[in-house]
Amino acid sequence: MPTTKRDRGSPVPTSSTKPTSDSSSSTKKPLKVKVKSFHGIARWSWGTPADDVCGICQSPFEGCAPGVKFPGDDCPVVWGACKHAYHLACISQWLAGGKNSCPICRADWNFADDS
Amino acid sequence: MTSKTRIIKELKECSPTNGSGVHAEPNNSSDVFNLTGVITGGTETPYEGGVWYIEIKIPEGYPFEPPKMRFITKIWHPNISSVTGAICLDILKDQWSPALTIKTALLSLQALLCAAEPDDPQDAVVAKMYKEDPDLFAKTAKEWTAKHADPNVNEGKIRNLMEMGFEREAVEKVLKEVGWEEDKAVEKLLGGM
Repeated sequence: MPTTKRDRGSPVPTSSTKPTSDSSSSTKKPLKVKVKSFHGIARWSWGTPADDVCGICQSPFEGCAPGVKFPGDDCPVVWGACKHAYHLACISQWLAGGKNSCPICRADWNFADDS
Repeated sequence: MTSKTRIIKELKECSPTNGSGVHAEPNNSSDVFNLTGVITGGTETPYEGGVWYIEIKIPEGYPFEPPKMRFITKIWHPNISSVTGAICLDILKDQWSPALTIKTALLSLQALLCAAEPDDPQDAVVAKMYKEDPDLFAKTAKEWTAKHADPNVNEGKIRNLMEMGFEREAVEKVLKEVGWEEDKAVEKLLGGM
């Protein structure tokens, strides 16, 4: 398979030999680029499937549960032993109502060991 | 604490064009806590061709508490009061889960119309008939569907009241509120003037 790819691509180097030789003098010069500043962008997730929402508030896991101001550490996501995830604030409110079951599968609710 | 955001999201998936045979809309666009749901009867059931309006009240504690639902349109069914429209369905009571939604609750109601539970009745008279005389039950349920839930018959009722000089919008609203009973609707329309 790789050979086929090389065969198909063979016309490219031949046609590009001319421009490379022409510009060889300019490419030898080191590119003068000075980094003055940069914006680092990081993305985080709770490890839940992308686009998945909390089964209680129907908001994204990376967003806020109702009544919580900030996402992230203020609004953590927890898992049950049944592997269903919710915002801590949401499942806590459900459990506080005297119910002890997972809202999705109705299994007895136990927090998963690692959450 | 009620999740208004969640209700607004839910209403989007309950729009009349969602294609699931059930939908819900706010009675008043500025109030998402009072809704009217609509369900249709299943084919090959006594409810075929019928359209039922459901009063939906979202409680303060939603989604940790179930939405309050009641049939506005009259129906002959063992688990629904033929007088008040009160519904006996576990998921609207102790079996409610916050993972359920207005849409899934309406779909459960639609399923209830296809599979009655006469051993857990809301209307003892209907349940007794369902168990002891299934043919009479089916006949009565069909008659009630034709009388109260047939969209064509109900369109006729709208026309009748409009001929009396009332606006269509007002007529439709009042008829839905009184379960499509013309006499009651006239009383209400005249009373409101």
